[in-house]
Amino acid sequence: MPAPSQTVSALRSLLAARFPERSRRASGDVPALVRAIDDALGGGLPAGRLTELVSAVPSGGGQTVLASLLAATQAARQRIALVDGSDAFAPGAVPGDMLRHLVWVRCRAPGEAFAAADILVRDGNYAVVVLDLRGCAERALRRTPASLWYRLQRAAEGGSVAVLVQTQSPLVPAVPSRLVLDRAMSLADAAAERGDVAGRIGVRTERSHLQAAEELAG
Amino acid sequence: MNFAVLVVPDFALHALRRSDPSLCGRPVALVAGEGRRARVTQASPEARAVAPGLAATLAMSRCPGIILRPRDPGAEAEAHRLLVAAAFTLCPRVESTASGCCTVDLRGADASRTEALMRLRVAEFAGVGLPLRVGAGATPLLASYAARRAEPVLVVSDTRGFLAPLPLAFAEPTPAQEGILRGWGIATLGALTALPKAEVGRRLGADGALLWERAAGEATRVLRHVEPARSFAAEWAYEPPVESTEPLLFKLRRYAERIALELRGAGFVAEKLSLTLLLEDETDHRREFRLPEPGADVDGWLRVLNSHLEGVRTDARVAGVRLVAAPARPPERQEGLFDTGLRDPASFWENIARIAAIVGDDRVGTPACADTHRPDAFTMERPAEAVAPALRAPVHPEYGPTLRRFRPPWPVRVACDAGAPARLEGGRLGGEVRAALGPWISSGGWWRPGAWAAETWQVELAAGGVYQLARTADGWCVEGMLD
Repeated sequence: MPAPSQTVSALRSLLAARFPERSRRASGDVPALVRAIDDALGGGLPAGRLTELVSAVPSGGGQTVLASLLAATQAARQRIALVDGSDAFAPGAVPGDMLRHLVWVRCRAPGEAFAAADILVRDGNYAVVVLDLRGCAERALRRTPASLWYRLQRAAEGGSVAVLVQTQSPLVPAVPSRLVLDRAMSLADAAAERGDVAGRIGVRTERSHLQAAEELAG
Repeated sequence: MNFAVLVVPDFALHALRRSDPSLCGRPVALVAGEGRRARVTQASPEARAVAPGLAATLAMSRCPGIILRPRDPGAEAEAHRLLVAAAFTLCPRVESTASGCCTVDLRGADASRTEALMRLRVAEFAGVGLPLRVGAGATPLLASYAARRAEPVLVVSDTRGFLAPLPLAFAEPTPAQEGILRGWGIATLGALTALPKAEVGRRLGADGALLWERAAGEATRVLRHVEPARSFAAEWAYEPPVESTEPLLFKLRRYAERIALELRGAGFVAEKLSLTLLLEDETDHRREFRLPEPGADVDGWLRVLNSHLEGVRTDARVAGVRLVAAPARPPERQEGLFDTGLRDPASFWENIARIAAIVGDDRVGTPACADTHRPDAFTMERPAEAVAPALRAPVHPEYGPTLRRFRPPWPVRVACDAGAPARLEGGRLGGEVRAALGPWISSGGWWRPGAWAAETWQVELAAGGVYQLARTADGWCVEGMLD
């Protein structure tokens, strides 16, 4: 009878052979140009997966992450979609040049946001789809059936789109990566250049697909 | 081929089945007359052992479960409009010959292209439940003979060879003429036209000569052309009113198919759809859909309409629907070598339209800042097909965290100390101000109605969070959070 460690090792090898996409890093990662996030995710937002970014404190930097993503996708000449659950994006807050590759969906309710995200994730023309649910009624979000999230994850899987879900508290069940913005910015940051502000964003990794892959690989 | 005839056999029956999804795949017969005198006029293939002329009571006993219906003039009119629209896609000279029959003057048209179009229309009609038959020949009469023999398209090039085996009934002889000709041993058109026309005329009179001409397919006539559709709309009623989307979508597809064909026949595409639900309580629900990529693809239209209807809740049942397509010329553009960054342009525009149907036309697109310093002034534009390279780095880099707006702004009471905000009190946000930056004074539009002026501050609350405040003529408000 083989030792338990050998059995586990064999199982890991079998899983890695059966599901190679789970154990390797996706090549289509989209860098967020926010060092803390890119480091936590091993290079950027993973393509074909959901990443949840929780803004646990006010002024945690979630909107600056979005602005950095706009700059990153513009530099790579990729298209980005923002499904804005509470219609909070301010076009005047980012340079006009950073808006030309953006498709902005201004929603009035979480239901509209989920329906729009479901369509955009399957589209195939976007490198990143951001589903921003901050500011949506917490009660309405909690009533969202888990099946809707799994549907979104299945839609993203195998595709080339990186899906970033921005929330105020952990919401997405079984999300591969969950990062928490837990350092509030101060008024002193208002005098710093936007790039420096992005560098000061504090991120705590609550869950990471990289950790899972490493565990899988032993 | 100079003429084509488009005909749908058993037109009244197929038009009825096309308009009522509950009749699909079931034995159906059309009846005329009342009570015991009701007779079957047309029967579907599923109604075995039922033939035209059979008494309705007998039809029910021979085929248990048969559905007997009277003709539906509304369904026939709509199906006939579809047929006329299909005829216009072949050539603009079209005659609406009879219910379920159109004649097209094809003189001058490209024969091979026209035949391909005929086959395309036949396939499309098969998809919508109408078994279209198309015949083409040198005269309208010959084309109509060909249409009756077509399976499903028949182009007659050898007129004599085609006519020879056809039964005499094709030429529609009177009973007297039929009796005489049967006495002569003549049963086919070929046998009749083998006789000299003058001799037939001498023995059967002028009517006999006309019969000979019909048998030879030579009889010709002037077509009464109809005008192509000028408005691309449909309106229909539900009796009884409906309260779910399935019957709406079924009928929408049927009418959209006709409108799309009419648009194509006129060389147009739709740039905008207008849908009006006429409710039982005499109110209505109206919505316009601007199609990002103008087109005449019914499936694309239906996906847009469906996306909207899924979220519609009305106070009363739907008693009728009106669908209007705004025509536009098909977009023509020069494709450049680096012109598109879209992997799948069709899917991109269709999905934009579907999302617009959910959130509204003005709530999806690419934002562009308006040429003003007025806060939150922007327009929503059509997304670009290509992602252009970034311009030069801006002279003045962006500073500070990015603003996240509260729309509408949150009203707040602000207590000031030495002219600067010191404490916020309000329903959604309150607390001591730890630090404040400002004010930034801005104004504009003073030379016209709608002048604006604002005093903007950035404040950090003691409880955490950096917010942007504005003082306007209406008082203080929180414009958003610096995030």
